Amino acid sequence: MSDNATKDVQIERTLSAPVSLVWQMWTVPEHFKAWYGPGGATIPVAEFDLTIGGRRHVCMAMETPNGPMQMWFVGQHNEIAVDERLVYTESMSDEEGNVISPAMMGMPEGHPETTEVQVDLVSVDGGTAMTMTHVGVPADSPGAGGWGMAIDKLEAHLQSLAS
Amino acid sequence: MREERLNDAFAALANPTRRAMLAQLALGEASVSELAHPFAMSMPAISRHIKVLERAGLIVQGQRAQYRPCTIDASPLHEIADWTEQYRPIWEERFDQMDGYLENLQRGEPTKNKQTKEKDPKNNE
Repeated sequence: MSDNATKDVQIERTLSAPVSLVWQMWTVPEHFKAWYGPGGATIPVAEFDLTIGGRRHVCMAMETPNGPMQMWFVGQHNEIAVDERLVYTESMSDEEGNVISPAMMGMPEGHPETTEVQVDLVSVDGGTAMTMTHVGVPADSPGAGGWGMAIDKLEAHLQSLAS
Repeated sequence: MREERLNDAFAALANPTRRAMLAQLALGEASVSELAHPFAMSMPAISRHIKVLERAGLIVQGQRAQYRPCTIDASPLHEIADWTEQYRPIWEERFDQMDGYLENLQRGEPTKNKQTKEKDPKNNE
C-alpha cells in the first residue's frame, strides 16, 4: 500500500481567541472536556500530565443503540512548547491505561494502534491559527503494533502474487 | 454501512487462526479442508471462522458442490488503510465545538455545553 502508513489528517482553523486560551483547550481538562467529544459523546475523564513523556488519559462516553459505551485512550506528551506546539500520542486503552488494539475493541475506525496528534498554534490578526495534524505512527516504529504491519505485509504479498 | 464493514473486517482480523487462513488464501484458492488442515480444530469451529471472514467480505466462498473453494478479497483492507479520511469529519466537528466554546467563554457566558456541566461539577461556577 505504498506510503499509506504515513498518511495523515491535517486541519487548519483560525479561531478568534488568543493562543494562550487555545493552548488551554488542549491542556486543561475542564476546557478539553467541553469540546472534544464528537457526535454527542461526553468526556467524563481527562487527565493530562503536562511533562515530556507524561501521560494523557481520556475517557469518551456515548449512548449507542446497544446502551452506554465507554472508550478509553492513553498516550504520552512528546513535545510541549507552551502556546506554540503540543505533540502527543494516542492509543485505545482500558480504564487503567493498558493499550488495547483497535480491533480488539471492535472499533469502526480502522486507525493504527498508535497515532500522534500534533497541534501548532500561531498568533495572527484577530486570533490564533491552529494546525492539527493527526498521523499514524509508521508501521516500523517501536510504538506501532499489529494491524498496520500485518496489513502492509498482506498487501505486499498480494501484490507480489499479482505481478 | 461502511463503518459496519470496517467493524467486521477488524473483528475478523483479530484472530490468529483467521489471519493464518487469509495468509494461506493469499497463495491461492483453497478448500475448506485445506484451510482446516494446519489447525487442530473441529470442522464446525473451522466453518465458524470461515463464516466470520466471509461476513467481513475478506473471502468469497464458491458455490461448486462438495468442493467449495475459498478465495481472498482484500478490498476491505483498503478501507482500513484509509483511516485518516474517517477521522477528518470527527476533528472538524470537534473544532466547530471548540470554536463555539471559545466564543461563549470569551463572552463570559456560562458554557452551553450541558454535557460537561453534568459530568464535571467543578465547571458549575
